[in-house]
Amino acid sequence: MFTRQLSFSTPIFLSIFLVQEALISQFRLPGGGFSILLIFALTWSVLSQPEVAAVIGFASGLLMDLSQSASGPFGQWTLIMLLAGYAISYIGYGDDNVHANAIGIVFFVVVATFFVEIAFLISGALLGVSVGSIAQVSLTLIGMSLWTLLVAPIMLPVFTKLHALVFDSRSVI
Amino acid sequence: MRNGGRARLLLVILIVTSLFLITLDLRGVKVIDGFRQGTQTILSPFQRAGAVVLNPLGDFFSDVTHLGRTRKQIEKLEAENANLKIRLLNRKNADGQLEQLKDILDLAGTAGYKVVNAKVISHGSSQSFSQTLTIDSGSNAGIRKNMTVLSQYGIAGVVKDVYPNSALIQLASDPSFKIGARIAGSQQIGILSGQGNRSATLQLLDNSTTVNIGDVLLARGSSSNRPFVPGVPLGYVSRVDNSAGAIAQSAVVRYYTNFSILGVVAVVVGGPSSNPGDALVPKKPQVTPIPTVTVTVTPTPSPAD
Repeated sequence: MFTRQLSFSTPIFLSIFLVQEALISQFRLPGGGFSILLIFALTWSVLSQPEVAAVIGFASGLLMDLSQSASGPFGQWTLIMLLAGYAISYIGYGDDNVHANAIGIVFFVVVATFFVEIAFLISGALLGVSVGSIAQVSLTLIGMSLWTLLVAPIMLPVFTKLHALVFDSRSVI
Repeated sequence: MRNGGRARLLLVILIVTSLFLITLDLRGVKVIDGFRQGTQTILSPFQRAGAVVLNPLGDFFSDVTHLGRTRKQIEKLEAENANLKIRLLNRKNADGQLEQLKDILDLAGTAGYKVVNAKVISHGSSQSFSQTLTIDSGSNAGIRKNMTVLSQYGIAGVVKDVYPNSALIQLASDPSFKIGARIAGSQQIGILSGQGNRSATLQLLDNSTTVNIGDVLLARGSSSNRPFVPGVPLGYVSRVDNSAGAIAQSAVVRYYTNFSILGVVAVVVGGPSSNPGDALVPKKPQVTPIPTVTVTVTPTPSPAD
């Protein structure tokens, strides 16, 4: 079971990472744009059990650390995404208002994106990473959240189908 | 209970692994750099292909972002048919890059910099609050770490990492970017720091000197011309902070380079034989007088007069 999940999810993660780095990064979108990998990882985390969500967060964080645009030390995104994945899954686990409701999932993903970026800023500050002026940071935070709000509903059917395929889940939105 | 214990154990293992990775990176272990280098080597052909395919679309987004400024251009394009629009978009992209390249070569030629030109193949994601881009030339073209990167107007950034066929550029707008600057003419020196956008802060080293709005800043240069060659135009002072309690005088500087439209850049692989001084200070725009024609109407005398 575990081997099947791993062999299915690895190419999916790598493909989304490739799309993010080779295609989405071509656009300098206003307000900082969005991260498809972040949206994907958080959507899967909402749909999964807490320990599975932690592994999803760990894997996606590792890929985000491999990105050339990652400014912090290697492992910073891994740690943040691991904790974020576990936390949002733990909060929403067993609650059908979240799992069976597309609006609930999108809401969770947008809020989680906002807090994940704030966690990155705080941990970055502790590790000595410069992040820029408050106005610019605020603009990026709001911009990324709005982009996530725009993109997450569009990608949600694809991401939930992939989740169902890998984890053999019955709930497809 | 047993499942809960296993989940906790898994969580602890993953957290410890993350902390282990952070520690290794902060201690400068080469293996971690190798991971990122390997990833970029694999990604650069895909980014190159993505840049070719999506460049016109990227221009479209850039136009939307600067809608107010490009309205006339858009109106002009709207007047043409769909086929010409696509052709024009592709042509515009090439012309824009050619124009940028010409200006970069003019700038580099005036100062005597030896440069390697490169196309931008990817912009870094803002998720990490950093400002980077990837170019399509690397160590095979003679580019090394810590070399100055120029745009058509002046500083664009510095080479942060180099791979065989690509390089990662830290833009001058990146919050962790710092460069020694001097004010053209007065020779006052200070440190310019990126702020995440086109503005930067200048911290003067001597508090007894003054800085004025409109003063032009140039790079001071580093020893052996790395990371910065001397004389590169940086920007101009747009606001001066005159707070009485400040230890050193500071100012807000607007970069000459518009980082969101960079298509072509040049990496300085060889510095000038002598300091170009203020030779690269951009010329102030000349006001072209508009000829006026005064028409005086003289009434024709009527036959009755």
